[in-house]
Amino acid sequence: MSLSIKHITKHFGGIHAIDNCSMEIEEGKITAIIGPNGSGKSTLFNMISQLIDEDHGTIEYKGKQISKLRDFEVARAGISRTFQEVRLFQNLTIKEHLEIDLGENDESLWRSLLLPEKVSKMVIQEILETIDLKKPEFTLATDLSYGQRKLLDLGIALASSHTILLLDEPVAGVNPALREQIKKVLKRLNSAGETILLIEHDMNFVMDLAHTIIVLDAGKVIAHGTPKEIQKNKAVLDAYLGE
Amino acid sequence: MIFSQLIVNSIIIGSIYALVASGFSLIYATNKYMHFAHGVAIALAAYIVYFLSLHISFPIACILTILLSGCFGVAMHRCIYLPLQKRGASTVILLIASIAMLIFFENLIQLIFGADVKTIRILEVTRGIDFFGAVVTPLQFIIVLVSLIIFAALFMFMKFTVLGRNMRAVADNKELASIVGINHARVADYSFFIGSCLAGVAGILIGMEQNLTPLMGTMLIIRGFTGAVVGAVEVVAGAIVGSYILGFAENFGVWYLPSGYKDAIAFILLFIFLLFKPHGIFGIEKGVKK
Amino acid sequence: MISPYLTNLAVLILIYIILSVSLNLALGYTGLLNLGHVAFFAIGAYTSALLTKAGYPFVFAFIASGIVASLFGFLLVLATRRLKGDYLALATLGFSYVCYAVLLNWSSLTRGPLGIAGIIKPNIFGWQIHSTGEYAMYALIVCIISIMIMMWIVRSPFGRLMQALRDDELGLRVLGKNTYRIKLKVMGISAFFAGIAGSLFAHYLTYIDPSSFILSEIILMITIVIAGGLASIRGSIVATGIILLIPELLRFIQLPSSVLGPLRQMLYASILIIILMFRPRGIFGRVDLE
Repeated sequence: MSLSIKHITKHFGGIHAIDNCSMEIEEGKITAIIGPNGSGKSTLFNMISQLIDEDHGTIEYKGKQISKLRDFEVARAGISRTFQEVRLFQNLTIKEHLEIDLGENDESLWRSLLLPEKVSKMVIQEILETIDLKKPEFTLATDLSYGQRKLLDLGIALASSHTILLLDEPVAGVNPALREQIKKVLKRLNSAGETILLIEHDMNFVMDLAHTIIVLDAGKVIAHGTPKEIQKNKAVLDAYLGE
Repeated sequence: MIFSQLIVNSIIIGSIYALVASGFSLIYATNKYMHFAHGVAIALAAYIVYFLSLHISFPIACILTILLSGCFGVAMHRCIYLPLQKRGASTVILLIASIAMLIFFENLIQLIFGADVKTIRILEVTRGIDFFGAVVTPLQFIIVLVSLIIFAALFMFMKFTVLGRNMRAVADNKELASIVGINHARVADYSFFIGSCLAGVAGILIGMEQNLTPLMGTMLIIRGFTGAVVGAVEVVAGAIVGSYILGFAENFGVWYLPSGYKDAIAFILLFIFLLFKPHGIFGIEKGVKK
Repeated sequence: MISPYLTNLAVLILIYIILSVSLNLALGYTGLLNLGHVAFFAIGAYTSALLTKAGYPFVFAFIASGIVASLFGFLLVLATRRLKGDYLALATLGFSYVCYAVLLNWSSLTRGPLGIAGIIKPNIFGWQIHSTGEYAMYALIVCIISIMIMMWIVRSPFGRLMQALRDDELGLRVLGKNTYRIKLKVMGISAFFAGIAGSLFAHYLTYIDPSSFILSEIILMITIVIAGGLASIRGSIVATGIILLIPELLRFIQLPSSVLGPLRQMLYASILIIILMFRPRGIFGRVDLE
């Protein structure tokens, strides 16, 4: 079972940000959504996360209707995401970020006060190792470099219990060495069974990473296939160059 | 009889509130933060004209007061708001700072002039004139007339002068305005000057019509602000219309509510609008919060 | 024995410590722009006073003052859930004014401007408090317990969520946390302790009227919280002591009370502006006021 997007449309004023998009995201694979700037990729993510309402269409995940859920309920349904502009808690430490993710009791005041914290140190270490973040866990988010923030962002998405990862431009603005590191991490995660859906507008990054590529332009899906098929697709090249 | 008196009273008090709101709204529209100390600019004007008129001729006192009020506004901008903005203050911090200024100067007024009520004895207390069944004093006529003239002048200023156009540009999009060569700090100064001169006029008229108390500024800015929110805070014309609506609400409202609640009507109206229609009747609904 | 003057000061400081720490919980730790904290203080004071006057046992009235205040805390979050920034801050301010207006006008319940006199001194399970010294002891116990509870909350996993909410509410929501519920809980706690402080206040003075709960009181609370530092309980405690002590130094200069009152307010306002300008993080704050 997978993420099912059916005939999603969204207008902003007179503009169709998303125009009748449909796609199926396969479980256990890495799918990349690419397209020139303004093609609607982030808007699509925001609709999946229910941060924006869709005008028409439905989104289903593992058979459940996502469209009716509130934004935080989508996360609880197993959809974990990052944002293009990294969203971290400036005044919290790396450790605290992960503790929030992993903590189960924190929303209840009583349980939070009376029960001991169940977050395992080992799990935190594991996550930090997976993303290869080489910074002490008591560092404040505000003291991290841009690349390290991107890594922590990824780590947080990983730490929360999830069944699919939605990554919005996970390597935007990141130096080439870190790009490769992140690409390795994503491959490793996928071979361990993670379903990954990512947005990227750099075609080269996804070519040897994704199993399936979907191309958006001006809110419409203009191509959907393997990297090889996409590379040969004229419409795609037009979309990128013809702007 | 009572009905027409209520309508007339609504228009008179609406004009007063609109005078307050127009200056406040002009400043908000151009700068995008709330200058609550506008209330105390009005109170200061009332007390200054009261004081000056005891020593010099009234017309000159008025002119001086209006100019000093304008300068007060610019001083607030240059000494408080601009430095805070340079340190990255958000609009909420500027709001808190403006409330602090309001309280500071109100207490200064109380310190200097005392808490007792003062009156400006320039116009003799004359009998009101009968106007369609309502009683209106000459002063009240003047208030409404002057207000309408000022609103018309403000409208023409915003639409037809270079400075007015620049203010609208900065109000619309500050960054773009800079790119086009408009010095937005200067334009901000002008917005404060003009807005605060309006406060000066308001202070003089209100000072003559109602009595002077140190806390009059707070009461007036609450009304003016409510009028602005009801109409649309960032649209000066809307703020003016909203203020008249408030005037009517207050006067007709006391039919239904115990008279002690008259003061609270403004806040109740404000609260209702903030909760259900924060951008006012004429404002632009910016974005949907799910 | 310690002079009555110092004991009196101590009681007031203890009450304000509870007020400022509870405000910091909402404002500094969670980022909730609550400029209406005075309302909870007032509601607590009146609840406790009225219940004891109606014959209910003191301890019941004391707890009830916190609970009723926290109900209003929930109400405030519910009412303002769609507001942000300036509009939120102003709505909370409006809420506290509506509360003041109700206290002033609902005379059948609150005796309006006459206030409530002859409020009993506390009787906690047999410990009847008589003197100011005993009251100070009682206030100290309440204060210490309150601070300990609030510290415990802030250091718990829930406390982490509070700070995350302040830093990025949306970021917290996409992690699956219901931030609206968190806000309700935080405001409920914040209001509860403000209500308790109100009870302390009412039974200490044995007379309350609406004038103790006017709008400008919030400036003192905000000043203390910002001066001490957002998200710093220690900061609020220290700042309360310092800021309440400063005007006391003025007593050594023999000034009439008609001067002291306004001067004190001017002092608080100035301190706030100076802190915002030069040290917005306050003494112990590690967080910027956004």
